[in-house]
Amino acid sequence: MTSDEALMLEFQGGSRAAFDELFARYRKPLYGFFGRRLNNPERAEDLVQETFLAVIRAASRYEPRALVRTYLYGIALKLLAAERRKFLTSSTSGQSAPEPKTDGTPDSALWVRQALEKLDAPEREILMLREYEQLSYSDISELLRIPVNTVRSKLFRSRLALKSYLESEANKNPSLRASAAQQRRRGMQ
Amino acid sequence: MSMNRHPIEQEELMAYLDGELSADQATEALSHLELCPECQTLVADFRGVSQELMAWEVESPEIGIPSEINAALAERLQKREAAKIKTSWPRSENSIVTNRWVWAGALAIVCVAVALTLSLISRNRNRSDVRRTSYPSMASIEQYLMPDRNAEIALARSAAPESISDDAKILVLEWRGYETAIEGKNGFVCMVERSWTSPFNSAEFWNPKVHVPVCFNPAAARTILPLTIKRTEMVLAGLSKAQMIDSIKAGYDNKKLLAPEPGAMCYMMSRAGHLNDAVGHFVPHLMFYFPLIDKSSWGADLPDSPVTLNPQFQGGPEPITEFVIPVAKWSDGTAAPEM
Repeated sequence: MTSDEALMLEFQGGSRAAFDELFARYRKPLYGFFGRRLNNPERAEDLVQETFLAVIRAASRYEPRALVRTYLYGIALKLLAAERRKFLTSSTSGQSAPEPKTDGTPDSALWVRQALEKLDAPEREILMLREYEQLSYSDISELLRIPVNTVRSKLFRSRLALKSYLESEANKNPSLRASAAQQRRRGMQ
Repeated sequence: MSMNRHPIEQEELMAYLDGELSADQATEALSHLELCPECQTLVADFRGVSQELMAWEVESPEIGIPSEINAALAERLQKREAAKIKTSWPRSENSIVTNRWVWAGALAIVCVAVALTLSLISRNRNRSDVRRTSYPSMASIEQYLMPDRNAEIALARSAAPESISDDAKILVLEWRGYETAIEGKNGFVCMVERSWTSPFNSAEFWNPKVHVPVCFNPAAARTILPLTIKRTEMVLAGLSKAQMIDSIKAGYDNKKLLAPEPGAMCYMMSRAGHLNDAVGHFVPHLMFYFPLIDKSSWGADLPDSPVTLNPQFQGGPEPITEFVIPVAKWSDGTAAPEM
């Protein structure tokens, strides 16, 4: 399998097929990135598109010093920050915050989301980048511009906090925990 | 957690689970983990948190490349082509330079520039390849799991033609090991093996990208599959390679692991697998298992022989000889490239 970095270099060299392959590899992960952070499927799709448009515009400046994956999430984080700033501006001018989408969302996912919301924003972001985007400590450190040791200690704290929260919630409502545990096991049977 | 009783800190243990420790540190973490119930509980808790987070799946709508992206792409590629033409050497008759020394000098400059560019690209690619192929220690378990169970089932089935895999038992890897996803009817067992079925000295023993679709025939399901199951259990339990090797040897000594039955073989005809970074999906092939025999008995590795000796078990603790024979088609019936 051709590496992402080789594909990016091929795209720089004018290969449309290389871009198509990168798009196929990263569209869903990027949608997951925005989808989990915005609760707005339409905006998530728009921002995935904007991420790839930014890649196209900046292709000539890409240097394979960083992994393409890290490069893409770097762009995605900037777009997300801009989106949040835009939302803050519009909300001060009277627009109300979008309600989290609950219809059709499995209980187990809601439960996880509520648990994540209990964390401080910086710790939540580190945890999500590690768990969902599977970025390394050094990649997270580079993207968020914080020391690697800080990434590690915040990740540790957030996992412990999440474990403690999930346990207390499971004691209150055991059926939710069972639902979460079974989520991955739902298959073909 | 006291450092007197625990030579590594809890944070380091977490970093070990995330595949963030150096090989030496990871070995130390593993050694301690094997003996410390308290740390085993902590590790199980962290794995549990990761597993529960995976319950939040985000369904992405299935769409192609949007028109805005297509337009931007077309524009970029067009501009690039235009720039190439603009910067190419002037070709009008009036501007032809006739002095051959000037031509030679220009040619030399172009050659040096091309060589430098190629060298830089090659160096950059090599750099990314080195990064890609370095797997010094085990990554976190979720990196070895496939998030989509149905995709894993489909990949497992792709190891053999539908006429075989449709009725085969299908195993999928879960947090605690392989589990039966679908019961079979024909005695075959299909699964996606992970990197730890590689030789213990393989550089890709911990490569989480390795996905090896395989369908064992009934004889191999009885005598070879247990090896894959055992290696997986030991990896998930955090055993060191040395301990795994010892345990496999002991398994053969005490007859808990059996020599390959006569006729044991498997299908590996998937075009979607990733056997390792070096060969990708490789070519479709069949593999045949025997108790240790000399490769000359099959004419393996001789000039023009289609049979090769597979290195998987060579020098390993398993007393098995394994031959590989490439076949002409992928499991979906399409023609495969020549080996």
